[in-house]
Amino acid sequence: MKTPDQVRVKKTTGKMEIATPGDVSYLAYIRTMVTELARQVGFPEPEVAKIEMAVDEACSNVLEHAYARDKQWRWQHREPEIRLEIRTEDGRLVIEINDHGQGFEFDKFQPANLEHRVAEMAPGGYGIHIMRKFMDEVQYSSSDQTGNTLRLVKYLKKS
Amino acid sequence: MKDFHIDREARGAIQLIKLSGSLDMYSFPRLESQLSGMFEQGLIRVVLDCRNLDYIGSAGLGALIGFAKQAREKGGDVKLLNVPERIYKIIELLGFTKVLQVHETEEAALGSFAS
Repeated sequence: MKTPDQVRVKKTTGKMEIATPGDVSYLAYIRTMVTELARQVGFPEPEVAKIEMAVDEACSNVLEHAYARDKQWRWQHREPEIRLEIRTEDGRLVIEINDHGQGFEFDKFQPANLEHRVAEMAPGGYGIHIMRKFMDEVQYSSSDQTGNTLRLVKYLKKS
Repeated sequence: MKDFHIDREARGAIQLIKLSGSLDMYSFPRLESQLSGMFEQGLIRVVLDCRNLDYIGSAGLGALIGFAKQAREKGGDVKLLNVPERIYKIIELLGFTKVLQVHETEEAALGSFAS
């Protein structure tokens, strides 16, 4: 597909890097690129759909929380940006999503149980549940040097 | 990537909303605005035809579930119709099909409000 203006894409063997402005209008582009790659490496469609949603939730969280206008985020002088590095290694797809916004204590964050939230018909707060449910590994790191990085991993299981 | 579109038709007292494209954090405010406007007018019986929807994220799902809850409190509801298999599997895994009614035909969806 055509690369939108202001998006940088770098493809090398087994790896793709994408950098988009930190704006919700680029979410569809990110989903398209991730799903195309997931299909290429052999994930069946139900798993592609899960990867798509997990990445979309991760990027949406960056835009809603890390780059929230009322927060002091890192390197305020820079325009908000989302950078993705997607690579295949040892039978798994690794997706790293990096931003330079406000970090948070991911590991200490314990959202209410998914079933309870759905049963209560809560209007939001599903993103982290979805990432943890649909991916095999979810890790988060944050530092002043590298910004915030969410690492999502999906194993390519042989059927 | 298809642009997100909303088409609304009245079927008696029921509003049939046809969605197409992707319902994500970018597009869901448009659906939210549409449903809010309808609710303010007392139009609380809603069927969302998802036949041409190719993606729904948690922002969209959260908005739907929130509106369904509001509608039920006033005797209405928000129900889903023609949900593509790819999307159905996702919302079923997340448990949303336990709280949102999903119908396969327009007749069934519209008729469910009478019961």
